[in-house]
Amino acid sequence: MKPDRKRGWAVLLLASSLSLGLTGCSTIGVRPWEHDLLAKKSMQLNVAPNVTAFHEHVEFSKEGSAGGRSFDGGGCGCN
Amino acid sequence: MQLTRATGTLRKTLGLLTANLLAATGAHAATVPDGVASIANAVFGAGTDVAGDLGRTRVDSAVLVYQEAGGRVRAIEPVVGATLNRANGDAISVKFTVDTLTGATPNGALPWLTVQSFSTPAAAPASGSTATVTSASGKSTLVTIPGVGPVRQYTVPAKTLPVDAGFMDERRAIDLGFTKQWSENLRLSVGLSASHERDFRSTSLSGGFSRDFNEKNTTVLAGLNLEFDESRPSFGTPVPLIYMVGRGREADEGPEGGREGSGRVVPAAVVARNLSPAKKTVSSLVVGSTQVINRRWLTQISYNLGSSQGYQTDPYRIISQVNRTSGAPSNYLYESRPRSRIRQSVYWDNKLAIGPTFADLSVRGYHDSWGINSITIGAAERVPLKSWVYVEPQARYYQQTAANFFRDFLINGQAMPTFVSSDGRLAKFSAATVGLKVGLNLFKTGELYILAEQYDQTGEHHPANAVGSLKTLDLFSGVSATSVIVGYSFAF
Repeated sequence: MKPDRKRGWAVLLLASSLSLGLTGCSTIGVRPWEHDLLAKKSMQLNVAPNVTAFHEHVEFSKEGSAGGRSFDGGGCGCN
Repeated sequence: MQLTRATGTLRKTLGLLTANLLAATGAHAATVPDGVASIANAVFGAGTDVAGDLGRTRVDSAVLVYQEAGGRVRAIEPVVGATLNRANGDAISVKFTVDTLTGATPNGALPWLTVQSFSTPAAAPASGSTATVTSASGKSTLVTIPGVGPVRQYTVPAKTLPVDAGFMDERRAIDLGFTKQWSENLRLSVGLSASHERDFRSTSLSGGFSRDFNEKNTTVLAGLNLEFDESRPSFGTPVPLIYMVGRGREADEGPEGGREGSGRVVPAAVVARNLSPAKKTVSSLVVGSTQVINRRWLTQISYNLGSSQGYQTDPYRIISQVNRTSGAPSNYLYESRPRSRIRQSVYWDNKLAIGPTFADLSVRGYHDSWGINSITIGAAERVPLKSWVYVEPQARYYQQTAANFFRDFLINGQAMPTFVSSDGRLAKFSAATVGLKVGLNLFKTGELYILAEQYDQTGEHHPANAVGSLKTLDLFSGVSATSVIVGYSFAF
């Protein structure tokens, strides 16, 4: 197996383990009255959708990778 | 008529802005009676950093101005969209995008010690047999070769990366979306997108769901997207690996074989082309989960599997075929890529409230069947200076390996590979982005922001396998670009 591929699988394994580990823990999460910070716009995962779309468009047209956050299609003839 | 329509649109927009201002004034008038302070509070309303637009319509507009160094691609891309959020959680969205591209783009050939000339098939001129094409460089000339057809010719100076300065396109796209709040914890969504360029059309259809668990601390989501693309250059798509029309002026006539006599036009690419649209289908699946870890930490992980089947060759891109000793180009061939590509990626994003600031930390691992592996790391830190203004430095690092069919050039006399491309996007390189965003929370629901960024690719300028005089030339075709994004969003 190539080193790069090994590295990719290692990242996948690490991320999956962490995610499953975290979701399996009974102490994580908040009660409904503890949403003060989480309810802020600045705390949203995709806080500026248009900026994200611009970034993904530029990166899709200048780099060999695509997708991850969302679908990997580009909808343009730029790659 | 158009003026009337534009005036009407402007009046509506001003009306909405006024409504926002009045609403904001009403909210603060009771607590801040002072005139100046009242206006300031009305415009820069405190406490507007609140997510959620239930029962409101949000209008989100922005424009991207993107300029590559060296007079290469310039893009101006305005977008405007609106999302109607019903109080029950249903939402309908529409977004329009216009993308205007001009400038010069690398054609795939290598620099050389002398001037190089290139000819590409072109659409027939309206009349006459010769015309000068108006382009950014003014160097392209349209000629009609008897028995062959219209050909666009351009030259590139010595020791210069060959670029086609006649590059110009405009893309118009529309995205429609609908989300249905099926039950308290389940949402279903569908989307439809269409994009149109002079030489490319794309239509896509998507569907997905998200479901909350554990007092909404956990959300699981999945989506599927089907995209149907058509590549439609005006001259058709060249048969892969066919010789370009034309050649380098200082053509190599070595014993291992250049082609015909120096400077002779070889019309192969004009003859050997497919005139019907070249099609491609992209199927993409995303599954993921978001998890609230604690009051200050929200995390998301997603996996993306994509399958692209069909025409994926760049119909404009060529590759130099050079003499094995001198490195001189003797021919240019149209590139060839596999018709199948499978992409996989894992994306992990984190939002962290650190003191009064908000950090975004993400990492993506990517692998595809063309042999490209990449890693992407992103970081941003939003620092509120006041309740109505923030600054947000951003950084991104990207690194990829080369596709297994990437070559800087082909060598005369060597066996021709089935797939080959000199596209710099398929090469080994890294890229760094740094940016600074400044945002203002205006009125009660509005946000005005500006983001300035610098993007730089770093790669191999003198590859180890370079031959002859190519060793002395800079063979890297990477991009450096500056971009500015200005956006305004508000809800009513």
